[in-house]
Amino acid sequence: MKPATQPSADWEIGSLSLSLEVVCSMAVNSLRQRIGRAVLTLLTICTATAFMMYLLTMPRSTDPVDIQSWRLMMILSLVVSGAGVLNTMLMSVTQRYREIGTMKCLGALDSFILYSVLLEAAILGLVGAFAGAIAGLIISILLALADHGGEVFRAMEIANLPGKLLFVFLVGMALTTLGALFPAFIASKMPPMDAMRGEK
Amino acid sequence: MTDFSEPDSTIRHSSLDTRHSADDTVEYTVMTRDVVKVYRMGDTEVRALDGVDVTIRTGEYISIMGPSGSGKTTLFNAIGGLMKPTSGNVFIDEIDVAQLDANELAWLRCRKIGYIFQSYNIVKVMTALENVTLPMLFGGVPPDEAQDRAVEILTRVGLGDRILHTPKELSGGQQQRVAIARAFANRPAIILADEPTANLDIHTGEEIIELMKEMNQERGVTVICSTHDHKMLDISDRIVWMRDGKVQKIANRADVDIEINTMKEKE
Ligand SMILES: Nc1ncnc2c1ncn2[C@@H]1O[C@H](COP(=O)(O)OP(=O)(O)OP(=O)(O)O)[C@@H](O)[C@H]1O
Ligand SMILES: [Mg+2]
Repeated sequence: MKPATQPSADWEIGSLSLSLEVVCSMAVNSLRQRIGRAVLTLLTICTATAFMMYLLTMPRSTDPVDIQSWRLMMILSLVVSGAGVLNTMLMSVTQRYREIGTMKCLGALDSFILYSVLLEAAILGLVGAFAGAIAGLIISILLALADHGGEVFRAMEIANLPGKLLFVFLVGMALTTLGALFPAFIASKMPPMDAMRGEK
Repeated sequence: MTDFSEPDSTIRHSSLDTRHSADDTVEYTVMTRDVVKVYRMGDTEVRALDGVDVTIRTGEYISIMGPSGSGKTTLFNAIGGLMKPTSGNVFIDEIDVAQLDANELAWLRCRKIGYIFQSYNIVKVMTALENVTLPMLFGGVPPDEAQDRAVEILTRVGLGDRILHTPKELSGGQQQRVAIARAFANRPAIILADEPTANLDIHTGEEIIELMKEMNQERGVTVICSTHDHKMLDISDRIVWMRDGKVQKIANRADVDIEINTMKEKE
């Protein structure tokens, strides 16, 4: 159907390119426009990450029976807080299917939808997971200080702390972005009208 | 496909003198071929579009009339590349929309077509200004320029003093005008206007119609407008009547004038 020569570039079916500048400003604007929601999400990420950090760093007894139950508690807690973060992100993106559909109707690229939602989540994840990891460590130290006094850092295996901090931060970040990635990917690929109705 | 007339080898914007020419080389900008859209809900099937064939010339002003539920919005969604028809083809500038990849479709929605949604579809958390700026940003207009243009268009539709309001601070008619301004933002070649004046008072409604007519006559923009308003018929080149997902009748304005007159006489 396409004529071989198209003298006027204006009327060819063209293509759009993604502007990172626009993606960034859109992600920041979107957080600003829903600041209440953003603060709540941050709180969830922060609490969950702090909890993970605390569990990883709290001084524990060397009794094998205690270690067994500690492991179990650790795993369960990780699952609970991880699922909490995933769920929060899933909900916050799913609630925006209508808006995403509208943007697609106006000609937003799939990649634009994906990147701006991901960037938004990454900002939340960065701030939340960082604050959470630090907060968890502080709580851990304070509690250990009460129990062990001056021995606190030996009890907490101080050499491992930076590694644990980084690990927890990365896990918090990853859960936040993964929770947003899945619904954002689905929404970005949907025909606009389906997204508008929030259908899967 | 047999009646698919070979287009002029150039795709260009037709000027006023070509748009009324009746010969076979007239340029078509929108063409639908046997477009069917079936919605399934449980056991029941709704044929929202039931084999629609329409051919719209570049620079034409088309009004689409039809009772509620006759498929006008569904047809617009198919033409605008917002949903896939169950069967049949939509051609824009001789190109089958179904053949376009995601990026080309985005371009079509962004640059080629300006869609005034019946339900406005403006983003709730954004101001009028941000809403109108949005398609320009998607289309690659630099943010500053996009903002200036948005202010200009919003002023044009009479919302110059409301640009920083969010939808919940705007009346229905004002929201509709935001939707109208947004559709004009990227200077599209085709405007799909789905009952654009439904919530406007007579005065504002006439201004909007005036604006569309102006774009149609001065810039050669193709306007496809669904309406229940008989006043709109006066300015259209052709009128398409739909019923139950089918095109019932297509008429030139000249023929319709007579009908409207007889209708007026009956009243
Ligand atoms: N998403 C959907 N799911 C199921 N049925 C639908 C859907 N959208 C439209 N329909 C059905 O398709 C038919 C045509 O709807 P459409 O919205 O195109 O009508 P319309 O001519 O625009 O009506 P109106 O003048 O009221 O806006 C209706 O019977 C409607 O119930
Ligand atoms: Mg409708």
